Amino acid sequence: MRLLRANLRKLRRRPATWVTFLLLVALHALIVFFVVVGSKAAADPQAALAARQFLTFPTAYELIISLVIGIGGLLGVTYGAAIAGSEWAWGTLKSAVARGESRTRYTLLGYGAVAIYTFLGLVGAFLAGVLVSALGALVVGVRLDGMGDTDALLRLPEQFARAGFAMAMNAAFGFAIATVTRSQLAGIGVGIGLFFAEGVAGIFAPHVIKFFPFAAAGAVVSGGSGGSTVVNGTELGATLDANTAILVTAAWLVVSLLVACLWTERAEISG
Amino acid sequence: MTEAAGVALATQGLAKRYGSRVALDGLDLRVPTGVVYGFLGPNGAGKTTTMRILTGLVHADAGQVELLGRPFGRGDRRRLFGVGALIETPSFYPFLSGRENLRALAATGAPTPASRVDELLSLVNLRDRASDRVSGYSLGMKQRLGIAGALLSDPQLLLLDEPANGLDPAGIAGMRDTLRALAAAGKTVFVSSHILSEVQQLADVVGIIARGRLVREGRIEQLLREEGSVRVRVSPGELPAAGGTLEAVAGPGNVRAETGPEGGWLEVRIDPDRAAELNQALASTGVFASRIEVGTNLEELFLELTGTGRDLGAPPAPGAAPGSVPPPVVPGWPL
Repeated sequence: MRLLRANLRKLRRRPATWVTFLLLVALHALIVFFVVVGSKAAADPQAALAARQFLTFPTAYELIISLVIGIGGLLGVTYGAAIAGSEWAWGTLKSAVARGESRTRYTLLGYGAVAIYTFLGLVGAFLAGVLVSALGALVVGVRLDGMGDTDALLRLPEQFARAGFAMAMNAAFGFAIATVTRSQLAGIGVGIGLFFAEGVAGIFAPHVIKFFPFAAAGAVVSGGSGGSTVVNGTELGATLDANTAILVTAAWLVVSLLVACLWTERAEISG
Repeated sequence: MTEAAGVALATQGLAKRYGSRVALDGLDLRVPTGVVYGFLGPNGAGKTTTMRILTGLVHADAGQVELLGRPFGRGDRRRLFGVGALIETPSFYPFLSGRENLRALAATGAPTPASRVDELLSLVNLRDRASDRVSGYSLGMKQRLGIAGALLSDPQLLLLDEPANGLDPAGIAGMRDTLRALAAAGKTVFVSSHILSEVQQLADVVGIIARGRLVREGRIEQLLREEGSVRVRVSPGELPAAGGTLEAVAGPGNVRAETGPEGGWLEVRIDPDRAAELNQALASTGVFASRIEVGTNLEELFLELTGTGRDLGAPPAPGAAPGSVPPPVVPGWPL
């Protein structure tokens, strides 16, 4: 436990933790700002109404979580990569191993701290998102009565659990990539590259890509239908059903951690 | 492999390759308990690879290691609880303070009392800057913090790779005192260094490696005696006669004349304690030495044993043409 506590203390002081969190909140605030501007300026009443969903509670709760996960999935990968990569780049893993620390324990507890902060970041970003959306609602004159909707509030714990699980997998994925590349920058770069590559590849091979990490994580949060979207006879997207998505995401999480542990265990550490 | 008692660290037949490059080629070391052991070798000789193997950072292809009297291999990480190490450059989280870094390090490996951190910050004279971020530390301060990190678990065996790197003279003197005190308290200090004069002052025993093999190991004074020399200066006209006389004392092939800007020097390979005997022999033949210098320093011994030359060469001799190759400092000159 002392190692996990020490890791949590380290991450609390680490600029990457706060930069990632503030980036998530800032992007959310920016989107809400455009929603507010758009809802006032939109000539099409349907478009204005759709934009106002972001500011109308209780619907806004689910949209905020989706938004946090949408942006946060990518940030989770980069955060996990930054933390794992720096252990190699700064040589701090070397110091721990030379003191007789178990490589696997060090890796797992390092990831454990990342997962805890990722979840705290998710909750913090959600609360900030609710605040920003509520302010936006006041600006455009939308009533806040729905904020206390009991059904919506009771659904939040499950949604947080799903979102936290998905983001934990994203962070583990980035953690594993940076461990294999032994570099923060390479880990972040490869993580971002895979994120977008998966999105593009999903257009061409949706039934394969739906099993890939980011698509599976997305389906966990959205409670995927297990179906696909067909437009003009062309299949544009496919998602896993919610239960399969949880299993596939769990598999990616376990594989990512296994790769990180095995790689660290077998590595010849220099620098 | 060892008699265990009295040997803090031993290796036998240690071998390691990186691709086609041989880093260690059957290294045998034997470090007695309670000494400061200077581990010397030219760049690429295998010093850092040895340190990495001794701390479990890399694994040997062949050979055995004993730490504190017991075998050490994969899966024996707890053996390192009694070992402190500073390998290559000190490694820290730049965004944490010196104190926070030591606390983070103390959370790994052997259980370490919290009070130990401040105790060590005082020892390495960093108490006043302990709350500052490490990113603002000088190289010497990071080095001192690294030494503090190596001492965290109050180790029986301390492995230090170039510990004097970046330290100012006061820092070097302080480090020397600390390491000597540790050895006096029965702990073993294994120091790899390029600063040979520092090792000569600090170490009791040295091991010299070249091309991944041990070429000499022993107590410094004994090695210097065995490899010692006496330099004798006579008038240039008396060199042949003096050379013959000295060779009669030191043995055939043990005397050579030095060329260079200062003429008249003879170098005699002999135990420096026998310098008076040489002087007496010369005087008995009517040749009088104008100067006699005794002893070999560790640097000369190191260069000789490792077969390495001075990388930057000697300054050009007076009158030498610009760009010409300077003469060797001590070339052989048969008598």
